[in-house]
Amino acid sequence: MIAEFGDRVIADMEKTGQFARFIRRTMVVSMASCFRPAMYPLIWTQMYIIGVQSVLVVMITGAFVGMTLAIQAYDQLAFMGLEERLGVLINISGVKELGPVLAAVMLAGRVGGALTAELGTMKVTEQIEAVKSMGTDPMRYLVAPRVLACLLLTPILIIYADLMCSLGGYFVSVYYLHINSQPYWEYSASGVELWDLSIGIVKGFFFGAAIAAISCYKGFTCKEGAHGVGRACTEAFVASFISILAIDFALVVIFKAVYNTLWPLRSLL
Amino acid sequence: MRTETEEKYSQVDKNDGIIVLQDVTKKFGKNVVLDNINLSVEKGKTTVVIGPSGCGKTVLIKHLIVLLRPSSGRVYFKAQRIDNLEDNQLHKLRMHYGFLFQGGALFDSLTVAENIMFPIKRYYKTTKASGLEELVNSKLAMVGLDGFQNYYPAQLSGGQRKRVALARAIALNPEVILYDEPTTGLDPIRSDIINELILKLQKGLGLTSVAVTHDMTSAYKIADRIIMLHHGKIIADGNADYIRNHSDAVVQRFINGRVGDEELEVLRIGGAINHLKLQPRNFT
Repeated sequence: MIAEFGDRVIADMEKTGQFARFIRRTMVVSMASCFRPAMYPLIWTQMYIIGVQSVLVVMITGAFVGMTLAIQAYDQLAFMGLEERLGVLINISGVKELGPVLAAVMLAGRVGGALTAELGTMKVTEQIEAVKSMGTDPMRYLVAPRVLACLLLTPILIIYADLMCSLGGYFVSVYYLHINSQPYWEYSASGVELWDLSIGIVKGFFFGAAIAAISCYKGFTCKEGAHGVGRACTEAFVASFISILAIDFALVVIFKAVYNTLWPLRSLL
Repeated sequence: MRTETEEKYSQVDKNDGIIVLQDVTKKFGKNVVLDNINLSVEKGKTTVVIGPSGCGKTVLIKHLIVLLRPSSGRVYFKAQRIDNLEDNQLHKLRMHYGFLFQGGALFDSLTVAENIMFPIKRYYKTTKASGLEELVNSKLAMVGLDGFQNYYPAQLSGGQRKRVALARAIALNPEVILYDEPTTGLDPIRSDIINELILKLQKGLGLTSVAVTHDMTSAYKIADRIIMLHHGKIIADGNADYIRNHSDAVVQRFINGRVGDEELEVLRIGGAINHLKLQPRNFT
């Protein structure tokens, strides 16, 4: 039993090392690709697939987040006579947390699943080895464009989600819950700072990089057969989801410390 | 005890052929797939590696282009050691090779023409005036598929996919072409078309070819030399007649497609067959 446990620990350590090497190589080839104009068409193509084709689902996600927040929070605020401040709650929750996190989870499912399935199928049908046999680095040709597209477009998609969250919350608050439109926006504008908006967008870079790197890794290490590809997709989504939550927590702690230290100084500038 | 073939190649020199494997062993975990292989591939000839499924044929052919690196031993291409090269050095070297993968390994998202252009664009600066389209057309004409330029791999039959993959493999006019199970999954007529193409390329372009297969009809037709691999070792090496008349029972069983007593014992074919004593399910 001890030997089995030891073998499992060693195997897990090897996998961790393999993932760390994959991430390091991904960072190197992605940085290098930024300075190679020949790579730009590949990046554009991935931007269309990953970014443009995800706009609708991300906007729908954002709108439902805003609408649900309005319904859920209304009663508590109305009880205290603060219902006109519903916009602050919706917009702060939306732009700082729920918009970025739920948009990223949606992308992990839509984009991450597609990336793993595509690369996994390429792996089991020897297309990745074919790329290599023709003198091309599969990391540079297949991974770098996907990671860069995800890294650059996730923050933009989060802006769409934030916008729709704000509009969704507004429509439910004003047309369904009959809150006055003017104080709704006035309180929202005074409550939401540029800082709040910025951290949601910055989170997008980290979420995008994590989704793409994990999904590409799972595709590259996918086992043979339909079961192997399916399992890789499931593992990619679960790993991406947990990473999004963990990164979110870490960033919240860091941003809070930065905010408490630096943001009050802005009045001096 | 060393086999006759092991004795013959125990001292293989790096200058003995265009590609040389010297004492190559490959392990996956504790599983030894190639066991101290010594092999030289002669320039301008077709070498065919035969052997049962899972004996290490594909692993062997991937070592020739260093898609896999040996656990121990050395690989030489034109007397230059290549198994220890960095990836970027290997990428340059691979323009001298063409590789036909078992399933073709065509890129699903690219058209037939784009698949063939892929290696060319990797190694050469191309413009509209550089004659890339004419080159693609000529490669497709060589495999009898001119007119299929704008098809996607999913629109092609298995045999057509293999022929497009062959056109892609010869796109750079390589010195060496490697075929991994070129006729697997094809009917006898389509298999013969592939065999004829391999012969045409070898004779017409003077290519050095290495093919792995368990299709003996194909092996006899295309091979100048046949090597048999068994349990990770070379157990027979010679021309088609030598292999046909080889005294080893394992070789004879393989080339004639006869199962041995050991395998039968494992399958328990001689034992009693127990029938299930179950009532059929009543579907209503």
